[in-house]
Amino acid sequence: MIKQELKNIDELRILREPVEGEMLVNMGPQHPSTHGVLNFLLVTDGEVMHRAVPHIGYLHRGIEKLAEQTEYAGFMPFTDRIDYLAAMAANQAYAMAVEKLAGYVVPERAEFLRVIACELNRIASHLVATGSMAMDIGAVTPFIHWIREREYINEITEELCGSRLTYNYCRIGGVSHDLPATLAGKILLWLDHFEPIIDEFDRLITHNEIFVHRLADVCAISAQNATGYGLVGPNLRASGVDWDLRRDKPYSVYDRFDFNIVLGKGFRGAVGDSYDRFVVRVLEMRESCKILRQALVALPAGEIRSKVPRVIKPPVGETYAAVEAPRGELGYYVVSDGVSSKPYRVKIRTGSFTAMSIIESLSKGVMIADLVAIIGSLDVVAPEVDR
Amino acid sequence: MQYFTNIKRSMMSVLEGMAVTFSWLFRRPYTVQWPDKIPEPLEKTLPATYRGLLEVDTRICTACLACEKACPIEVIAIEVDRNSETKERHIVRFDVDAAKCMYCGLCVEQCPTDAIHHTTLFAATTPDIGDLVLTFIKPGERALPFKPKDAPPAAIERGAITQALLDSRRGVE
Amino acid sequence: MWKLTQEFIHKFIPAFEHAWLAYIAGALVAALALLAFASLFAGLASYVERRIAGRIMSRVGPNRVGPQGLFQFVADGLKLVMKEDLVPAGADPILFRIAPYFVFAGMFGTFVVLPFGAHLVAADLDVGIFYLMAITSFVVLGIMLGGWSSNSKWSLFGGLRSAAQIISYEIPAGIALLSVAIFAGTLSTQGIINAQGGLPWDWFAFHSPFSLVAFVIYFIAALAEGNRTPFDLPEAESELVAGYCTEYSGFRFVVFFFAEWANLWIMSAISVLCFLGGWKIPFVNAPEAYSGWLWILLGFVIFSVKTLALVTVVMQLRWTLPRFRLDQMMNLCWKYLIPGAFAALLGTMTVMALFSWDSPAGIAIRFCTFLVGALVVLYYIWRIVANYRADSANYKKLTGQSMWYPPWRLP
Repeated sequence: MIKQELKNIDELRILREPVEGEMLVNMGPQHPSTHGVLNFLLVTDGEVMHRAVPHIGYLHRGIEKLAEQTEYAGFMPFTDRIDYLAAMAANQAYAMAVEKLAGYVVPERAEFLRVIACELNRIASHLVATGSMAMDIGAVTPFIHWIREREYINEITEELCGSRLTYNYCRIGGVSHDLPATLAGKILLWLDHFEPIIDEFDRLITHNEIFVHRLADVCAISAQNATGYGLVGPNLRASGVDWDLRRDKPYSVYDRFDFNIVLGKGFRGAVGDSYDRFVVRVLEMRESCKILRQALVALPAGEIRSKVPRVIKPPVGETYAAVEAPRGELGYYVVSDGVSSKPYRVKIRTGSFTAMSIIESLSKGVMIADLVAIIGSLDVVAPEVDR
Repeated sequence: MQYFTNIKRSMMSVLEGMAVTFSWLFRRPYTVQWPDKIPEPLEKTLPATYRGLLEVDTRICTACLACEKACPIEVIAIEVDRNSETKERHIVRFDVDAAKCMYCGLCVEQCPTDAIHHTTLFAATTPDIGDLVLTFIKPGERALPFKPKDAPPAAIERGAITQALLDSRRGVE
Repeated sequence: MWKLTQEFIHKFIPAFEHAWLAYIAGALVAALALLAFASLFAGLASYVERRIAGRIMSRVGPNRVGPQGLFQFVADGLKLVMKEDLVPAGADPILFRIAPYFVFAGMFGTFVVLPFGAHLVAADLDVGIFYLMAITSFVVLGIMLGGWSSNSKWSLFGGLRSAAQIISYEIPAGIALLSVAIFAGTLSTQGIINAQGGLPWDWFAFHSPFSLVAFVIYFIAALAEGNRTPFDLPEAESELVAGYCTEYSGFRFVVFFFAEWANLWIMSAISVLCFLGGWKIPFVNAPEAYSGWLWILLGFVIFSVKTLALVTVVMQLRWTLPRFRLDQMMNLCWKYLIPGAFAALLGTMTVMALFSWDSPAGIAIRFCTFLVGALVVLYYIWRIVANYRADSANYKKLTGQSMWYPPWRLP
């Protein structure tokens, strides 16, 4: 069993070598806290871990290869399946890449609707991330409370685009449905309800001393290490690196909104520890609420979809478009051969994949309970790792 | 001093957390008892944009095959029989595999007459996965394609056709 | 309790003229009654806990079997009993099979000295509290055996964590109970209750600020010994799958869970009898309370209400708090609880030596401590109302419904 799963023969020798007082534990793929299907091979000395080797690939579906078999417009639903918690960002990134390649212009209203949908989706994704993190630490209630709030978002997206999880909302050159006026009011009402609920969540779990002590100073990632391993998104910002695509490489209409980039400051421990990663996500939800309020007020009238030919054939070329997804920079690299209506190659760059690579180096000398906290705090989503 | 601050902080945060959870005992729960204890069926309360099971109104289908082409995973199978003498076209097959469908809605957008559209139906469990192939034109039947200049037929309630198909599959009278 | 049953048997069944026969029969009847009580309580506690957890999480909870889902625990129990009793490959077959019964014995043995009211105790041992401490250690043996014999690494982790935890937390629990023993001058459970009064400021918990600390420390330690959150490390489901009971199924799994829920009553009842006045009825002196069946019944009701209140607190704690890490759990025990317990012991002894129970200063101290406790409860209620109010207006605007929903109603 071990033989098949290891990366190379040297590693096998290291693990097979009987070391006094070490034991080998298989964590996953069916383990409650390996979010999705992941396998960790733990080399432990009792509760203290010597190393944890992540094994990925259980959820590999060959989505990049599938892109070469489907037409440009038809690949959109597949992007939903890359990260099931943040399908909207994947939609937007792919649409942006093809629009850039083919030179389509997106109407302003569509851009605003994309921003609204993405920010709602970011909140939903962070709800699951922070909630499941609390559940990994042992508190079940915050998770279910967050699932309840996510239900409200799901209802909103259901009314907006017809689906609760696999939105398929963006189209090349716009979005699929317009935002009904009643729904805009409902989003604002929900925001009024949601912001006090974040406070309640803070009182329930974020400021809980047991929770703080479980996460503070656990597996701090320095800014240098974070950039070195290519962490992106909230994980990178928690380490104090001021980098957010929404502000630094503004896409869509993000440059028109006033919002803060939340950075990890060592809220209760070292900068970049697990608690920082948790708090950064909670605070980012508040920033998303701010963006949503501004976007709903500034939403212009007009078309939601520009005229795009039914069969899209971009000219020869290649392009890269990235968005700030809830799990960090999500990029699509699309190559067109100019003759076919199918992409020649699509490469997807996801945040979870790089977050996964840092786990092995972080896991030295921590306890098994801490490993669960790291996986939770890095917000690894298995299908996004494997694609 | 840090020692006592720790104790005080822990006590206060635990008490505060318990106050939050206790207050929830008096708040309205979010979940409902689906499917038997809700005022009206969920199918009726879902928004109209909901992307549920597909439905095809063959009376207004123009047999343009746009939906078949738009589908990225070949869920829709349409066969058009063209009589070489009279040049008359008939739709002889219109199958939608609801088990394979990923409910993306790309086919619906391409339809010029809204013949294929989503319904708010979602409960389609059957003992046999083959039952989920929705045959909107029964084998042996032939349907004339709709011509845009024709008068549109009377509207049918959305979901009625698919629901009837599902019921017949399940053996419900 | 066996005394009563003995009398009963002597009276109505003349065949039992031999004292030893009556003794055995009485013991059997008492044991069966206690077992029935423990099973019923464990089942109902599991149901109530799930309902409470449901509402805390804004869910519904069990609602299908019986009125209000009341018989859910019967259905669950039947389901588990009918399941295959699996022994994993490589497991130690004998130890694996007997381990749950150690846990059961450790749990059920405590019922021998647990009083339910005046006269209502199976055996009022002179070493009551000491016996309680000793017999609960039996549980750790069962959990460790179960964890080790399962031949699963997760079970092993769970068993060893449990051993470390229970053995460590017996120290603060024991010291906290020691202050009770010093105060009451006896180890007998009925003696301890009789040393306290019916009114809150006559309870031992409010004897002095130190005894209040001892109460809190005992309560925390009891949580840890009962493997309840935040000390559920032995069965931490997000880390160890299910800890020591990972490999158990069927009936043996039921026994583990039965012990866990019956333990709820035990830990709460010990807290009540040692610190919260037991079955003492306010304004009724001891001989009178022993005299009539109605008084005994009233005492039983008072004792049960107090215990059930503590049980709900324990349940609520479980659905509020996250879990400790192993080293933090040890830190809490050795750096906070044990010094605290010693300080509480010394403090209680000093207060006891300086101010006698009925002296004006003693009464003043008791009353002030009670006020502190009452203030904490009032603050708690104020926070509950504040938390409720924080969202009610917005909720109504969002959903168009009132947020108020009584805890017992099913949607």
